[in-house]
Amino acid sequence: MLMLGALFNQSVSKRLDSLSAITPLQCLCVHVWGMQGTYLVPFEDTVQNKQFQCESCVELLFVRGAGNCHECDTLLRKSNFRVQLFEDPAIDKEVEIRKKVLKIYNKREDDFPSLNEYNDFLEEIEEIVYNLTNNVDLENTKRKMELYQKDNKEVIQKNKIKLTREQEELEEALEIERQESERRRLLIQKEEQIQQILKRKNKQALLDDLEKSSLPASLLLAQHKDRSTQLEMQVEKPSQVRPVTFSTGIKMGQAISLAPVPKLEEALYTYQPLQVETYGPQVPELGMLGRLGYLTHVRAASPQDVAGGYTSSLACSRALQDAFSGLFWHPN
Amino acid sequence: MYHSSTQRKRWTFCNGQQLERCREEANRNFHSKAAATGKVQQNDFRLLKPHEELAICKHYEKRLLDFCSVFKPAMPRSVVGTASMYFKRFYLNNSVMEYHPRIIMLTCVFLACKVDEFNVSSAQFVGNLRESPAGQEKALEQILEYELLLIQQLNFHLIVHNPYRPFEGFLIDLKTRYPVLENPEVLRKTADDFLSRVALTDAYLLFSPSQIALAAILSSGSRAGINMESYLSESLKLKEDRTTLAKLLDGMKCMSNLIRKYELPKSEEVVALKQKLEKCHSLDLLLSTNSKKRKGYEDDEYVAKKPKVDEVGKPIVLFFFFHSNCHDKSNTATETNFCTHSYSFLCCSGRIHISCT
Repeated sequence: MLMLGALFNQSVSKRLDSLSAITPLQCLCVHVWGMQGTYLVPFEDTVQNKQFQCESCVELLFVRGAGNCHECDTLLRKSNFRVQLFEDPAIDKEVEIRKKVLKIYNKREDDFPSLNEYNDFLEEIEEIVYNLTNNVDLENTKRKMELYQKDNKEVIQKNKIKLTREQEELEEALEIERQESERRRLLIQKEEQIQQILKRKNKQALLDDLEKSSLPASLLLAQHKDRSTQLEMQVEKPSQVRPVTFSTGIKMGQAISLAPVPKLEEALYTYQPLQVETYGPQVPELGMLGRLGYLTHVRAASPQDVAGGYTSSLACSRALQDAFSGLFWHPN
Repeated sequence: MYHSSTQRKRWTFCNGQQLERCREEANRNFHSKAAATGKVQQNDFRLLKPHEELAICKHYEKRLLDFCSVFKPAMPRSVVGTASMYFKRFYLNNSVMEYHPRIIMLTCVFLACKVDEFNVSSAQFVGNLRESPAGQEKALEQILEYELLLIQQLNFHLIVHNPYRPFEGFLIDLKTRYPVLENPEVLRKTADDFLSRVALTDAYLLFSPSQIALAAILSSGSRAGINMESYLSESLKLKEDRTTLAKLLDGMKCMSNLIRKYELPKSEEVVALKQKLEKCHSLDLLLSTNSKKRKGYEDDEYVAKKPKVDEVGKPIVLFFFFHSNCHDKSNTATETNFCTHSYSFLCCSGRIHISCT
């Protein structure tokens, strides 16, 4: 018995080891057990049924074998304690519930023929999560979940596989990226080294030439400068990076679905010109004002005005609009 | 534009009787509010009657126009027109006994400067009042107190269409399409006079600005002995449309009547009424809960205004949508037929800044 107890202790303490003195624990019946110092601290909260217990008390509880949650009397096992991630235990509870629910309700958008149905599905999930979190109608909800699970076993399975496959692909892509950057880094390093060596060789050659050759020093210097710039330009040839994606974002090498995109039938928009009731005579169009002779009676636009986009027809048109607007209108 | 504006939809009334009714109702409301406080009875002789209120309003409107005419820097006509319109609209639904017209008048001009983008700083504005600096400070405080109330009572309909631009438009049209009249410019002076006199009447609340402008032109034409009715029938194509033509001419006759019948109240009468008004205000009816607070802010949790020194850090910013306005005579506008909305920021903490985007 003692041996068993010790084993249990170990497994729990491994999990509980990662705890600093403060993070609370949570049991699977989703009641929160936490630590406030090293003493048992009874704690009432808005979320139902919370109690805090410290690590030592938890171990104590389980030395006597499996125990019951003090409040809800569900059978607890040490292995079922988890480290709480969020400060507010209500949130943590909801997160755990959500994970469980989503494991079952794991359909995706493409599994649904229309957006509305997908949204309905999501709403259902939210309802279930809410019910479970706030202990509303627990039996019905659980029954619903079981029913769903039974009906959609294959779909759930398929989606699970898809998920794992996607995760693998993601990991592969990440791996490739890492390798690419690594390779690039090494390449750059190598090139720098080569450059350094070349430079040194060049300098050395210059010195040798200055010693041995009989040409004037300035000529030799010019020659060497030319050579060194040539070398630099050579080395800086851009390295070829193998393209992984097309410019549109489609990854190369992946099979692209060539199924036709579903057509959306909707009423076609036809343009209706804007009709504004001005309750007055019609104003001539902006472009016609010059031809009709209005602009001779308006102050002409100076070059500065024209540069800013102003023309005298604008002011003229505005004055005429104001003059004719509401002329035939009478309140009644 | 006028045809889609709130001025046409909400602030143009059928006839003078409707205006009278509005004013009487405002007066009655005040009487009942005053009676409710218990300090005066209903129809107490100390309270003003509607025709007395009207006389006071007329007097203060004249004062408003005089104030604007001596304003430095020179105030454009559209600003004056806007201010005068605000004043008229405000006292259509409110009583002079509740809000003294002396302050409301200044607030109207202040607001009109902002709305019409005639930039004056508040210091410059109160510098035009002929009072000591302390008096000017006090006046500014009062103006800022009443500003939001004014805007509220105008129902936030701040764009006013004045007849000045339509007048210019008609002159242009006359010069282009009405060769019978050789030089329409001769009409300008008398028409200006007509417009300034019609601004004192209720015509702004009864007719559209284009009709007022046309009336100005026709009346100055008839005064010069020129009959311009052919302009109406030919150029405006009203030959077939007899009813519209008749209505237009009717409207113009009505406007001339209004101008003729308008008379400024006599100065003794005004003095007496002013005294009565002061007594009303000093009755301390205190219909608003806190006189120190800025009027119109009663619904917000607004802290009473701090002295001017601390004011720098606390502007209250109000956002309005405006149709951008052209200035009358300057043809530097770049707007087109479709209204371009410019966002203006108003700082109600004592500085007027307007930035158009």
